[in-house]
Amino acid sequence: MVRFVNVTKIYPGQTKPSLQGINLEIDRGEFVFIVGPSGAGKSTLTRLIYREELPTSGQVWVGGINVAKLKRSQVPYFRRTLGVVFQDFKLLPDRTVFENVAFALEVTDASRREILRRVPAALELVGMRDKANQRAQELSGGEQQRVAVARAIVRNPSLVIADEPTGNLDPENAWQIMRLLLNINQMGTTVIVATHAREMVDALRKRVVALENGTIVRDEERGVYGYA
Amino acid sequence: MLRSWAQALRQAVQSITRSGLMSLASLATVSVSLLVLAVVACVAVNLNLMARELESQLEIRAFLRDGVNPAARQALIEQIQALEGVRSVTFISKEEGLAMMRERLGEQRWILEELEENPLPDSLKIELADPHQVVAVAEKVAAFPQVEKVRYGQGVAEKLLAVTRAIRIAGLAMVLLLMVATVFTLANTIRLAVEARRREIAIMKLVGATDWFIRRPFVMAGILLGMVGAALAAGLVYMGYQYLVRFLVTNLPFVPVAPPAELMQPLGSGLLALGALLGMVGSWISLRRYLRV
Ligand SMILES: Nc1ncnc2c1ncn2[C@@H]1O[C@H](COP(=O)(O)OP(=O)(O)OP(=O)(O)O)[C@@H](O)[C@H]1O
Ligand SMILES: [Mg+2]
Repeated sequence: MVRFVNVTKIYPGQTKPSLQGINLEIDRGEFVFIVGPSGAGKSTLTRLIYREELPTSGQVWVGGINVAKLKRSQVPYFRRTLGVVFQDFKLLPDRTVFENVAFALEVTDASRREILRRVPAALELVGMRDKANQRAQELSGGEQQRVAVARAIVRNPSLVIADEPTGNLDPENAWQIMRLLLNINQMGTTVIVATHAREMVDALRKRVVALENGTIVRDEERGVYGYA
Repeated sequence: MLRSWAQALRQAVQSITRSGLMSLASLATVSVSLLVLAVVACVAVNLNLMARELESQLEIRAFLRDGVNPAARQALIEQIQALEGVRSVTFISKEEGLAMMRERLGEQRWILEELEENPLPDSLKIELADPHQVVAVAEKVAAFPQVEKVRYGQGVAEKLLAVTRAIRIAGLAMVLLLMVATVFTLANTIRLAVEARRREIAIMKLVGATDWFIRRPFVMAGILLGMVGAALAAGLVYMGYQYLVRFLVTNLPFVPVAPPAELMQPLGSGLLALGALLGMVGSWISLRRYLRV
């Protein structure tokens, strides 16, 4: 599903690489945690997957596509095959819950009928259907993140990427989001989660890829967080 | 597809009305620059009309040598007629020439009473199809052996042509300049609307919106703004011009003016089209930066 081949990323104006010599293979249907200290390169790795950034050298393959080879005009169509969840939710605060989720379908020029069919189903899944008409800014952090998850899955992507999805949430809400991501994974979607949430990583015993200083220092099935 | 256009239009109207006062201010600015543009265009059209009127009065008189017989004269007329830029050649006999002179002198025609015989030579009046060729044609005509002398307002004609040319260039330059200014006003307005929705644009890009999808409402807002501004400007110019023409016709009847109906119809639709075009260009420019994500 996702394959990194000798990937190095140096941001413009930097001399030190943020990622260096990354080789990584993630199969369809896997659930993977990316862990590591602050500045290790977790966010950079996720950004390379949804092509917010391009690798300085090496290749990033997503679903059989070499991301660097995509033309500018093809990038939107590529992103539509993914779902992305951010630490800061990235919702439109003055729009309703329904509108925020529908947004991901509207940009694809989906029909009204399809929107009315898919959005409630996605909201149902994250337990936000009864708040469909509230504005995003009136929601708690946990609720906002659930809406963001609904937006990420409303198009039925085969890959969901989450960069510290629980970073702004209290433990209870964090667990709820993590459970959602596990559910999504059980339905067959590949899920990649960059996180600092030690308890959850240790409790779930999923595959763990640990980054330090831009390189992979550990890659274990049924791994643990591993930092103090 | 139609639905998404309707949606884009609704967003466009929203993005204009949401920033109420700001849009009003920019609408006023757009109207004013289009108004100035329209005024300049009106002035340019009329100056051009005047220039053409002046130019059309340019003509060449060729005075013939004594003793050119009618057959040779006819041949000469045909030769001149064949020259490039010549519209018509009229023969003016010495008698006709004298009559014309008498007419021109009016009260002072007694000057001619003193004369014992007609001092004027036969001549040809040459009217031009293209006034810019006056000098070239005059030179060719002067080269015919039957021709004694040509007169076309030497010196004056060249100056007149230079002036009319300058008028045209200045008018065009003004119009272009104002168009650029209008584009920038529009671009700036749209840029503010874009700025207000920056976050939204970034999110749109992340969820896979195409550039065109993101652009559409802003481009529409630009077109709408340009057209409303143009309509206001056209209305004002129409009223102003009608008033001005009425004034000119009664007070300075010898000044040629383009009739309002004839001028305003193309000017109005031209302004609307221009407003739309400038709005489109303006919003395109203002969005370019934000789409690089
Ligand atoms: N846009 C950028 N421009 C320049 N340097 C950047 C940029 N983004 C990240 N970096 C640098 O790249 C390195 C890795 O950053 P990254 O955000 O990937 O780390 P991270 O593991 O996500 O950290 P955190 O846990 O704090 O989120 C850091 O040294 C950071 O300063
Ligand atoms: Mg990060």
